[in-house]
Amino acid sequence: MTCWGKLNPVILSDNKPLYKFLTIAALVVGAACDSTSPTQETGDRGYSIYRHSMDGAPSSLDPAQASNIYANFLAVNLYDTLYRYKYLARPYQLEPNLADGLPQVSSDGLIYTIRIKPGVHFIDDPAFPAAKGRALRAEDFVYSIKRQFDPKTRAQGAWLWQNRIVGLDEWKENGSDYSLEVPGLKALDERTLQIQLISPFPQLTHTLAQGYSAIVPREAVDHYGQEFAIHPVGSGPYRLQMFNSAGAVLVRNTGFRQEPFNLEAEGFDPGVHGGFELEALEGLTVPFTDRIEVEFIAEDASRWNSFLAGELDFIKVPVTQFDQVLESREPLSLHPALAEKYHLLANLESGFVHTDFNMDDRRIGYHPEPQQNVRNKALRCAIIKAFDWPKRNEVFYYGIGQVFPGIIPPAAPEFDEKQSMAPVQRDLEGARMLLDQHDWNPSNLPVLEYGFPSSVTERQMFEQFRSFLGDIGYPAEKVRPMTFASYGDYARAYLNRDVMLITIGWTMDYPDAENTVQLFFGPNSSPGSNSANYNNEEFDRLYRSGSSLQASPMRTTMYRNMNRIVIDDCATISGVSRKMILLWNRELRMLPDRSFVGGFFFRFVHTGDAGTNPGEPAQ
Amino acid sequence: MHYALNKLAYGGLLILGVTLVSFSLMVWFGPDQTYTLIGKNASAEQIAEVRQQLGYDQPFAMRYGRFLVDLVTLNLGASNSSGEQVYSILKKTIPVTLALMIPGFILGNLLGIALGLLATYKKDQWIDRLITGLSVTGMSISFLVVIIFLQVLMCTPYGLNLFPVRGWQVTDLASYLHYVTVPTLSLVIIALGYNTRFYRAVFVEEAGKDHIRTAKAYGASPVTILWRHVLKNSMVPIITRFMFSIPLIVISGSLLIESYFGIPGIGKVTFDAITSGDQPVLKAIVGLTAVAFILIQIATDFIYKLVDPRIA
Repeated sequence: MTCWGKLNPVILSDNKPLYKFLTIAALVVGAACDSTSPTQETGDRGYSIYRHSMDGAPSSLDPAQASNIYANFLAVNLYDTLYRYKYLARPYQLEPNLADGLPQVSSDGLIYTIRIKPGVHFIDDPAFPAAKGRALRAEDFVYSIKRQFDPKTRAQGAWLWQNRIVGLDEWKENGSDYSLEVPGLKALDERTLQIQLISPFPQLTHTLAQGYSAIVPREAVDHYGQEFAIHPVGSGPYRLQMFNSAGAVLVRNTGFRQEPFNLEAEGFDPGVHGGFELEALEGLTVPFTDRIEVEFIAEDASRWNSFLAGELDFIKVPVTQFDQVLESREPLSLHPALAEKYHLLANLESGFVHTDFNMDDRRIGYHPEPQQNVRNKALRCAIIKAFDWPKRNEVFYYGIGQVFPGIIPPAAPEFDEKQSMAPVQRDLEGARMLLDQHDWNPSNLPVLEYGFPSSVTERQMFEQFRSFLGDIGYPAEKVRPMTFASYGDYARAYLNRDVMLITIGWTMDYPDAENTVQLFFGPNSSPGSNSANYNNEEFDRLYRSGSSLQASPMRTTMYRNMNRIVIDDCATISGVSRKMILLWNRELRMLPDRSFVGGFFFRFVHTGDAGTNPGEPAQ
Repeated sequence: MHYALNKLAYGGLLILGVTLVSFSLMVWFGPDQTYTLIGKNASAEQIAEVRQQLGYDQPFAMRYGRFLVDLVTLNLGASNSSGEQVYSILKKTIPVTLALMIPGFILGNLLGIALGLLATYKKDQWIDRLITGLSVTGMSISFLVVIIFLQVLMCTPYGLNLFPVRGWQVTDLASYLHYVTVPTLSLVIIALGYNTRFYRAVFVEEAGKDHIRTAKAYGASPVTILWRHVLKNSMVPIITRFMFSIPLIVISGSLLIESYFGIPGIGKVTFDAITSGDQPVLKAIVGLTAVAFILIQIATDFIYKLVDPRIA
């Protein structure tokens, strides 16, 4: 170890107390030296570094558990997925990644045939014979998807393919025996795989761009057992050098396929991307940067100080710093001093925040007596009308979030920009009238229990909600907080249908409104993702028809109708898509993406003059 | 020998009690990790699968019995979150926490003792009041405020910009000092208030005793009185305070320091395990903390005898 080489000659040669103390100190330092940790080097280091900050940390690097944005960002860079999203195109467009083209789909939409690129190898790792990474085969994909259905994997992505692929659910029911074949999941040869669906599922290709679908070699899973989650063995553009609770270091996979960067194919638009100097990247080999250091920094102040000190190249600016960072909100612009050093991007989240009524709760949701059912609906609608979205946006999202009605957020291609904003406009008169018409008064209004995991911000949101309802005469003592020590406890409560008002954020797994309308599909009720336990026959019928259609104007109309139904039923107070302020060093040629599907951008980060020789192997 | 055996037997009972209480808290009041491990749209069957894997479906007595057996055999298992062996997690993080905390711990205590002695020597004079006032001020300031202030002052272009805000890329003594200085300063500033107040109270009490008056009557110099009589005779409370802080430093670390300075120590691991309900990690930390306390208690008793032979 390098630590000892420098310390031993000095401290182990004397018995004086000072030396004894230094010896002990050196022992501790020596033990604390992380031989795998990177050296902080600058200047002529000989390789390029991009230093990224995340406001949370993944606990596992197993793609099967890549359920949050932090894990997904690392998974799609350490492993290969069949597809990815184009770097610059918005709305997002799929692009072959490991696949050598888009899938060939049978005319009935049930059989997908995909060829994978030749010559792709897993990284060298002790899991393989002679520690030499072997060629990736179509069979590896079959294995990787099967893992999602093996209870031992504790996978979090199985829902994407549940009841979708012929024989896969049965394979699990029969004990997840890897020697048994799944009829709908076949490797036709070394490079060709075929997926047979039970019914059309046009979003299948999107699911193959998720971290969950990343391809893992069975040898590594067997070799590392449970610790596979911290020993990633993939074929992605990077390999892991270090991972702990504070950060991760990825270094270039020198065996990654040599693919030149094609600006136009990635969706470059000079009008939109012209200021980022991306033109210089044309023709370079991906990935551009030798080393990516990812810091997990949940604490806003620490992340911000570290960024200001030049220790980070990229930051999602904490909301508390918006006032210091922005010169104006409309249009968004940086303070001149910062603008000299950093690029700014306002990244609208691919998702939204909403507060659902638990429709299973008879005090506010469905009621077996028709008259009470109507009264409950009136009460829900009155609460929605009392909700002051501009104020919520101003206080908690710095006034730059995008408020919209319903459940199709602006990031979805099916979002309707021309829809009426009336459902998210405050109407106190209308709310009071609804209450009067349906015989609601302060004495008979039900106690509302507003659930949230314990935190200052969540509490403030609750208090604001209570004040909104106070404006329509809802007694403050009848709007009560229901706090939970952790998010896990909160999730347990609402998935068990024990929470009356459930505030949650949904991050879209793929850019298709199917991913958000399914949140209100009856069969997905708790413990599924329909935490409102919403149940509407017409909605469910449209969902069943629409979700099996390829993207088309007809399908878009169906989704929008579903959106309308949820709004009319007053099942949720929705919603707002938050806008994130991203800053990054001007020396870098890149366009960051903070959405769930955005992790692929790491491979396209170019450090400009900050490092040297992009394209050369990592040291 | 008899004494040591007695202590060990007592320690065993204590470990049983501590582990039982903490395990009960973990099981009945700790977070249910099932719901952070399941995916979206999980079915009741999938939830049951995960609960079964986590052992939540087992009776309490069986789970507790298993915990004790694992603790005795040092079979710490693997983290439910990352799959990493708990032993490996502890092996990686405890040395980091030690290296991080020891300088601040030692300096905080030594300076506290020095200031306590000085305040005692100058009791009721302005210097005593100044030290006491500063101590109270130090105790009143939030640890978080101290950390952020020092980060801005020492680590950013708005201040001196001498040290890194975050990181722990220690490869030699120089890099160690580079990374440990600001966290150590934070620890010292926070600990100093409490330590000085404590040590001053101990020393003032000792200084009021008869043997000190006798020493003064014999014409002993202030240094001799403070060093040989006050300090030496105050060693029992000093050792108690010092020794019983050790397990907390080794095992619990300092969550705030590690989080704000980006240091991968045991404090952050403990916090994450508590908030996520990662029971294998928590069980190991709780069990080892209990064992460490017992061992420290036994060691402390022996040290008492060394510094004060009157203690039976």
